[in-house]
Amino acid sequence: MTTDVRSVSAPSQRRRRSKLTLRNTLLGWSFILPNFLGFALLTLVPVVTLFYMSLTNWNVFGRADFVGLENFQRLLGDGSFRVSFWNTLYYSVLHIPLTIVASLGLALLLNNKIRGVAFFRTAAFFPYITSIVAIAVVWNLLFSPDYGPVNDVLRAVGISDPPGWLTSTDWAMPAVVIVSTWRDMGYYMILFLAGLQTVPRELYEAARVDGANAWDRFRNVTLPCLRPTMFFVTVMLTINSFKIFDLILVMTDGGPGQSTLVISQFIYRKGFEESQFGYASAAAVALFFLCILVTILQFIWNKRRSV
Amino acid sequence: MKRKIAAVAGMAVVASLSLAACGGGTSEPAATESGPITLSLAGWSLSTTPEFQVLADAFHEKNPDVTVELKEYDAAEYNTLLTADLAAGVGPDIITQKEVKFVTTFQEGGQLLDVSDVEVPDGIGGTSSYEIDGTAYGVPYRQDRWVLFYNKALFEAAGVDEPDGSWTWDDYDEAAVALSKAGASKGTYQHRWQSTVQGFANAQEDADILDGDYGYLEGFYDRVLKLQDEGAQVDFNTSSANQLTYQGEFGKQNAAMMPMGTWYVATLIAQQASGEADDFEWGIAPIPQLDESTTGLDNTPVTFGDPTGFSISAGIDDAKVQAAKDFLAFAASAEGAAALAAIGITPAYSDEETTDAFFAVEGAPSDDLSKFAWSTAEVFPENPTSNKTATIQGILNDLHTAILSGSTPVADAISQAEERVASEVGVD
Repeated sequence: MTTDVRSVSAPSQRRRRSKLTLRNTLLGWSFILPNFLGFALLTLVPVVTLFYMSLTNWNVFGRADFVGLENFQRLLGDGSFRVSFWNTLYYSVLHIPLTIVASLGLALLLNNKIRGVAFFRTAAFFPYITSIVAIAVVWNLLFSPDYGPVNDVLRAVGISDPPGWLTSTDWAMPAVVIVSTWRDMGYYMILFLAGLQTVPRELYEAARVDGANAWDRFRNVTLPCLRPTMFFVTVMLTINSFKIFDLILVMTDGGPGQSTLVISQFIYRKGFEESQFGYASAAAVALFFLCILVTILQFIWNKRRSV
Repeated sequence: MKRKIAAVAGMAVVASLSLAACGGGTSEPAATESGPITLSLAGWSLSTTPEFQVLADAFHEKNPDVTVELKEYDAAEYNTLLTADLAAGVGPDIITQKEVKFVTTFQEGGQLLDVSDVEVPDGIGGTSSYEIDGTAYGVPYRQDRWVLFYNKALFEAAGVDEPDGSWTWDDYDEAAVALSKAGASKGTYQHRWQSTVQGFANAQEDADILDGDYGYLEGFYDRVLKLQDEGAQVDFNTSSANQLTYQGEFGKQNAAMMPMGTWYVATLIAQQASGEADDFEWGIAPIPQLDESTTGLDNTPVTFGDPTGFSISAGIDDAKVQAAKDFLAFAASAEGAAALAAIGITPAYSDEETTDAFFAVEGAPSDDLSKFAWSTAEVFPENPTSNKTATIQGILNDLHTAILSGSTPVADAISQAEERVASEVGVD
């Protein structure tokens, strides 16, 4: 009886299923379309165009003559680009580990049940949502070599010759890194906090029973369980460090001299200040490949470790 | 991978490509010579920069058939926004050249009309800034020049002789040191811009920044560093850490002297009237000279200052070209100059009438030295008109911050800049 019914209704059922599939597909598309349209129009098309522009000598007014790889050759020999490249690496090498340590430390601290934890979490997140220009102005004052509170404190603890911070070619980059770490750590703290919620409590209990102390528990339970979060944070931090721009522009404008000139700012100068948009595009493409390369390496490394 | 810069640049590309395609063949109905014509003119901060409206109104009064409509752009991003509009084919008929270094960018992009046939009065300054290979692509209407502002009250209180037009830089240094020793104020304030050192050096040493040789800057930087060391002026680092404004430093009497462009005359008058600046007696003097060959009231002091001018967009309707050229000629003429001077603007052309109009403004200084300083000067452009200017100025700005922050010795910074110009720009 039942088989009969099924055989009779099979075609209509199939029709109903294909209708359902179509509906689901359309529904899916309607969810993704607004986002994809925006992405395609505002990101994908411009980026693809950028690749073409990097092969031209475009100066913004329509005349874009194809020059092949000339721009990239010029980049290789451009002293300023080299300086900006090394400065970007210098910034990243300082900023990435420092931010990971600071934000993870904050997350561990604020993962405890202490009084007013919500307040402290909010406070730690505050710098991230503060206007970048305000940050730059205030930190400029704090870092003032002669009258700034930072050097006042350093002098008070016995350092007679504190650094010149933003006014010194040697210390300007570390100063920028300090500010950007202070600014970013709240954001990455939130990511780490989310990661910490996924660590099973039983593992801690088991470790405790086995006599593991706090450091052992951190090393053998927390860190391994945090690996996916750590990977995500590292990738995001790396990309964000490579394309650092706004903070440097408002804090030092690349100075003193070229001591804080980074790749993004090099691109900005060549494009918007010197109207060499083709050449600036080539530098942007170089930065793009730098980001891709490092991200791929990180993925490979992550995969190897997870095997 | 969100890449902001790439996205912005790319967006501009796409926008320009698509819009250039449809903007190429604008077919506005051609207005006849006698019919009413409307010209659009690019300006910025219209509420605080009345010069555009003043010229537009004065021109309309003379030519009732022609109306000049202002198109406002954000002052800080003026050139970027204007560039985007021009590239998209929706730019204004008359382009205001806010910065001389963009003249070649626009010209090489084929955006400017040849305006060599526009008549300008003899003795007008700044025309060379708009000439490329002997062809004029713009006409100056305004030319601020750098002078020395000084606070008469502070000079008197310190018992230091006021500038009298005979000053060389040595006299200036001496006065600055004496002033700061005598009172709570600094002797002088030198703003952080590279022009406050390099502009004078370039003009008075008659140097060409395009030739890649910057040894002449050394003496000028040594002098500034010495003034900083002696406490006669706020040092560069303090100025940048505290984001000092030059209006605040001179207007609030923190410094007794200040080299600055003549645009500050109008600002200072307005700020004294509104109470933003202290009420004190001040004057302007010629900027100190390199040596005595150009000092004194019977000589012409050498200073610098870039003109501001008008160009005509290559995309303008043919029928409007003559009206636009008439407007350019009017803005540069003695009549236009008088209208500008009356609202505190320093026109490119000056004669007795414009000088009187300028100093008739309430709150303006009335002494003869101020009038001399304002009206008599050999004004060199700060930025030579060349497609290499922007890059070289960038390199020289790095030199400026490296030296004045105290991080690089003068000679080292100069040789670094020379090497960079040779390798990154190339020397003619």
